[in-house]
Amino acid sequence: MGKNLKLKSSRAAKDMSQKDLAEATGVTRQTINAIENGDYNPSVNLCIAICRVLGKTLDQIFWEDDENAK
Amino acid sequence: MRNNNLDEMQLQRRNKIGNQAFMLLFYLLMIDIGLNGFGFRWLNYPANVLAIMTACMTYYLIRIIWNSSFVGPQQSSKGITRKTRYLIGATGFVGAVTAFILQKYFMEAPATNGDDNSAMILLVVSIVMLIIIAVVSIIDKWQNKKVDNN
Repeated sequence: MGKNLKLKSSRAAKDMSQKDLAEATGVTRQTINAIENGDYNPSVNLCIAICRVLGKTLDQIFWEDDENAK
Repeated sequence: MRNNNLDEMQLQRRNKIGNQAFMLLFYLLMIDIGLNGFGFRWLNYPANVLAIMTACMTYYLIRIIWNSSFVGPQQSSKGITRKTRYLIGATGFVGAVTAFILQKYFMEAPATNGDDNSAMILLVVSIVMLIIIAVVSIIDKWQNKKVDNN
């Protein structure tokens, strides 16, 4: 599982730190870090919570193209 | 998702580590029984079982602290209040004084005959394990502070 750069860039676009996003979604900063680094697959509920906070759709953040899926 | 408990990743990791610690405990106890059967006694019963359990508990605590699965998202930001610290300190003090008084005035004979070093070994093992856990906890906190929120 590769790094989730879309999540990282979306978070940066909103000028949010990992801690801010973690507090807004009710998880720890380590969880957000693990998702961004591709070390953890979040549940659908957490994906939706992240998307809501960042104002994006699931496709925009979590859909992986064939090129990026590796 | 917003609650005082562990988040989903923490729960997943803690469950995995808990299973590993349980299997470790099981196999270590089996090995200990096997060694006992062959006549090799490294520590008298029940100190051997207690030492193995302490080691497995330490393994479990170290792993969950290292994987940031010890406290949940809300608890970690709050920390321990001063009142709680005083309460813990007072409880420890009262416990120590009670143990001292009980031993001094109410215990007529020592629990062991003096040849058995199990109590001392257990005390040392427990203290060493506590120190290891404290060091891991400090390193983990230090690493978390070091990570840049980029």
